[in-house]
Amino acid sequence: MQSAPLPETLANLLRLDPNSTVVMIVTSLIGAALIGTLMMTNTALAGPWAKRKITAAFTDRIAVDRIGPYGLFIIVADAVRLLSKELIVPEGVDRPAWDLAPLVIASTALLGFAVIPMGNGIQLADPEVGLAYVFATASMASVGLVMAGYASNNKYSFLGGLRAVAQNLAYEIPLILTGASVVIFAGSLQMSEIVAAQQQSLIGPLPSWYAFVNPFAFVLFMIANLAEVGRNPFDIPEAPTEIVAGYQTEYSSVYFVLIYLGEFIHIFLGGAIIATIFLGGPAGPVLPGIVWFLIKIWGVFLFTQWARSAVPRVRIDQLIEIGWKGMLVLSLANLLLTAVIVGVTVQ
Amino acid sequence: MSNPWIAIGALAVVALAIPLTMMAVSSLLRPSVPEQGKRTTYESGEVPTGSSQQIKFNIQYYMVALLFVVFDIETVLIFPWTVIYSDAVAEVGMTKALLPMVAFIGILVVGLGWAWRNGAVQWVRSPRATKGADTYE
Repeated sequence: MQSAPLPETLANLLRLDPNSTVVMIVTSLIGAALIGTLMMTNTALAGPWAKRKITAAFTDRIAVDRIGPYGLFIIVADAVRLLSKELIVPEGVDRPAWDLAPLVIASTALLGFAVIPMGNGIQLADPEVGLAYVFATASMASVGLVMAGYASNNKYSFLGGLRAVAQNLAYEIPLILTGASVVIFAGSLQMSEIVAAQQQSLIGPLPSWYAFVNPFAFVLFMIANLAEVGRNPFDIPEAPTEIVAGYQTEYSSVYFVLIYLGEFIHIFLGGAIIATIFLGGPAGPVLPGIVWFLIKIWGVFLFTQWARSAVPRVRIDQLIEIGWKGMLVLSLANLLLTAVIVGVTVQ
Repeated sequence: MSNPWIAIGALAVVALAIPLTMMAVSSLLRPSVPEQGKRTTYESGEVPTGSSQQIKFNIQYYMVALLFVVFDIETVLIFPWTVIYSDAVAEVGMTKALLPMVAFIGILVVGLGWAWRNGAVQWVRSPRATKGADTYE
């Protein structure tokens, strides 16, 4: 399974010297453009099309079926429609912050994909601190949410921004601690090592994916991830029935697209983290790795959309209490339990 | 093995270039007709009073934010331990590898319990909502 990162593969493919820095910069840019295109394609499919189809299926309606096969060309129509809308700049917005927030939200979400192994040698970089890096980039989006909430000069946006912080503060620690419990098994933060450690057989044909080895951690991580990406039951930062649309109320045109884009890439990043540390990364029978990887991240996406349609929203005070009194204690227990189990088996 | 941070930097460039391109394309396409009514902030149709940047609001989680800093540093300290843990068990035995971390997490749990008892991880209700109730003074 171990293979060279994407830039080196590209350099070898183009018959260039992989030891030269210039070659590496060029091939890295090509590789990054490939990863960026792949994730943008997924998001384009998910945002204007799949999300509507899934929600419609849950609520027994028909969605987007007018243009193209299965209504797929709605993606093009929506892109043109949203980009050509007027950008309304509300009175009294805090200008540089208001403009920067969508940029921060959209671009930081994409950064995490640098270290995700997507199968067939598609992994842009494989630093030793891979998992720590991916958690760091995933949590940067909350800075953008605060900027958007504060700079909009709208009380609802402000409330939404504050709620987003409260939520991220409460669920970040359980998320990272549960991620750390996986590191105890794998003994490394490097993404390729974590994936490689999950390839042995657990019982019979069942691989030792950490979702099977430690289902408790998997469930905890899935819940914390829902809060991290702000989907039901933890969607109070934008709760449309309470605070209009939270931090994104005052954003229109391309800024709205960027915030939406950032949210969807973030969901896929969450899915990619789950796939990598709990579902064996790109591993799977018969089909090539990249296909399995896409199936897994779309599976997580489907799960978030399912939760969005089926689970009621919790209140802000319930959210804080679930996070600090429930999830945090459970994730600490999970960490120590994992350590004891690993300790006993190693000895 | 080349430096992986070159590739990560390259993705950072791409991640910035994509939104910037979209913003540039949009600025070529879109109209701009600012009007008085259009530019007011949308607060469910009410006429906005005052600026949201000057209102005083109980942000509730001052204590929670302090706790977050404590636990965030804790996770930073836990990560290196998780990496070497199974090697350490093989080398010095489980007691020596696990007990210090149990003590460390134990101290933090005691701290969390203290914060819990003092209502720091609880959403404070406004004085108006709790008037007559004796849970808060």
